[in-house]
Amino acid sequence: MSNHAATASTAAPAAPNPGKALMIGLAGIALTAIGLAVSGAQNIAFSWLVGISFWTAIAIGFLLMILIHHIFDAKWSVVLRRQQEHGLAAFKWLALLFLPLLLTPFIGTHDLVWPWMNPDHVLHGHGTVAEDVLYAKKSGFLSVKAFVGMTVIFFGSWIILAALLRKASFTQDKDGDPKWTRMNRKLAAAGLPVAALTLTFAAIYWIKSLEYHWFSTMYGVWFFANCYRGALCISVIIFVWLYNRGDFKGILNTDHMHSIGQVMLALTIFWAYVTFSQYFLIWNANVPEETFWYNLRELNHDGTTNQWWYVGLFILFGHFVVPFCLLLSYRFKVTKHILRRIAYWILFTILVDLCYNILPGLKDAHGDAAPFLSLNLLWVVTSVVGIGGICVWAYLKSFPTTKLIPIRDPRIVECLTHHE
Amino acid sequence: MSAQPYGVIATFESSAEIYHAAEQVRDAGYKNWDVIAPCPIHGMDKAMGLKRSIVPRISLAGGLTGFCTGMSMIWFVDAFDYPVTVGGKPLFSPLFAFPVSYELTILFTAFATIIGMFVVNGLPMHYHPAMKYPKFRRGTDDAFFIVIEARDPRFNAANTKALLAKIGGKDISDLEA
Repeated sequence: MSNHAATASTAAPAAPNPGKALMIGLAGIALTAIGLAVSGAQNIAFSWLVGISFWTAIAIGFLLMILIHHIFDAKWSVVLRRQQEHGLAAFKWLALLFLPLLLTPFIGTHDLVWPWMNPDHVLHGHGTVAEDVLYAKKSGFLSVKAFVGMTVIFFGSWIILAALLRKASFTQDKDGDPKWTRMNRKLAAAGLPVAALTLTFAAIYWIKSLEYHWFSTMYGVWFFANCYRGALCISVIIFVWLYNRGDFKGILNTDHMHSIGQVMLALTIFWAYVTFSQYFLIWNANVPEETFWYNLRELNHDGTTNQWWYVGLFILFGHFVVPFCLLLSYRFKVTKHILRRIAYWILFTILVDLCYNILPGLKDAHGDAAPFLSLNLLWVVTSVVGIGGICVWAYLKSFPTTKLIPIRDPRIVECLTHHE
Repeated sequence: MSAQPYGVIATFESSAEIYHAAEQVRDAGYKNWDVIAPCPIHGMDKAMGLKRSIVPRISLAGGLTGFCTGMSMIWFVDAFDYPVTVGGKPLFSPLFAFPVSYELTILFTAFATIIGMFVVNGLPMHYHPAMKYPKFRRGTDDAFFIVIEARDPRFNAANTKALLAKIGGKDISDLEA
């Protein structure tokens, strides 16, 4: 088995042309820009927020998987790690693509996306933001300075962690020194709390503060679960792609697939546990400061059911029940094209989950959530394609710069013979 | 009164030897046979031609039973047998029945898995004919055995012993039940 690995990894992998991904990405961004003229800046900004959250979540997921790999000194995931390290190359581009949203607090009435940024923003039945006691109590946290500063810190820490992890791992390919492995393990010990805190605050600032009245201690954990699931799914897609191309023949074995599938199942259950806990505690306590967030996603002001109710049910079944039942099966976990299909499905439901959390921030004149089925879905798609194209381009550009797997990692042989 | 024959046993000296020997016993078409080793041997399930265990299916059945038990128990108690409105909540909702059903799912899955594993493995097993084999004690230390049972349709005392000798087995003996 290690013979196959040796032949497969001595040569640097053939580079697919990253230009196509860049063109697709730019086309997506251009289409989204055209949307500014069609749907107006606010709708586009919300759709863009969905797209950037989606891909940033996946990049954070890669970061988490690599950090967790190092902290546990894991052996089974060594061959998987390299491609995730290439995925980290997307962070600096994601930071650049987040810039337009970071500029919205400084244009117009400042509340294009986040209502609390404008003290004169009119709340339904509560006067304005400035008169709102819940805003006054939270104003130290919810200030534009804090928002911009924190966002810079988020991307800064992700970019620095990514650069350090990549440098140590890539240098080890050349000199084979185990000190890089130890260095990454220490970095993981320091980096995991940083990653956990930044992703939690990112979820709170970017997404949860769209409804700043709301309280939920589970929000960061919910975002974490989506980050991890998204990264797992993209990993599966990359690994199956490399396997079908022939690069991963003799490297990726059945037990690797089984292990990835088991983590996917575990995180599916974890996501459900967190999301259910959030809903259940709010439902059970029945406090208006909390229930309004779900009411907005179920009912219009006149009591009729709105479209988000069905989206919520779709998320319950599509994001949990279906992948849970499928991933219970050993055969589905180890059959590459089936696991890849499940991965595509979960990615789609993560996107719907983010829409469910972000898009109802758009309100109509009655304070009801803007309907799910609208032109905004088109702009969500163009944003996801646009930002995704740039991320894939960044990945493909990094892809041929190193060996396919970390061949001089101290645990590489244990990984190649991984057997549960 | 002569003892009933159980099968034949042979000793192998290393895990590599027994691995390849097992492949040949598998290829000879035997079904009722086993490998006795002092340690787990990676890949032995394939070498023996074993299918995946049915324990996961038993676990699934246990889990479904647990989930349905939780849901129906709470429905029966809260909405049917003794309906009392609490906290303005409906008499029955899958929401508040979920945590309990979820716990019972885990509990019943664990029970089904442990019990299923014992049943499938035929445990507890206080006696096995191989225990009468003089070298049996080495089987917990540094020796590996193959036991082919007499109830196997392909079993034939002379041919089976010849096969075991051919694939490198030492100290081939008959086992009494």
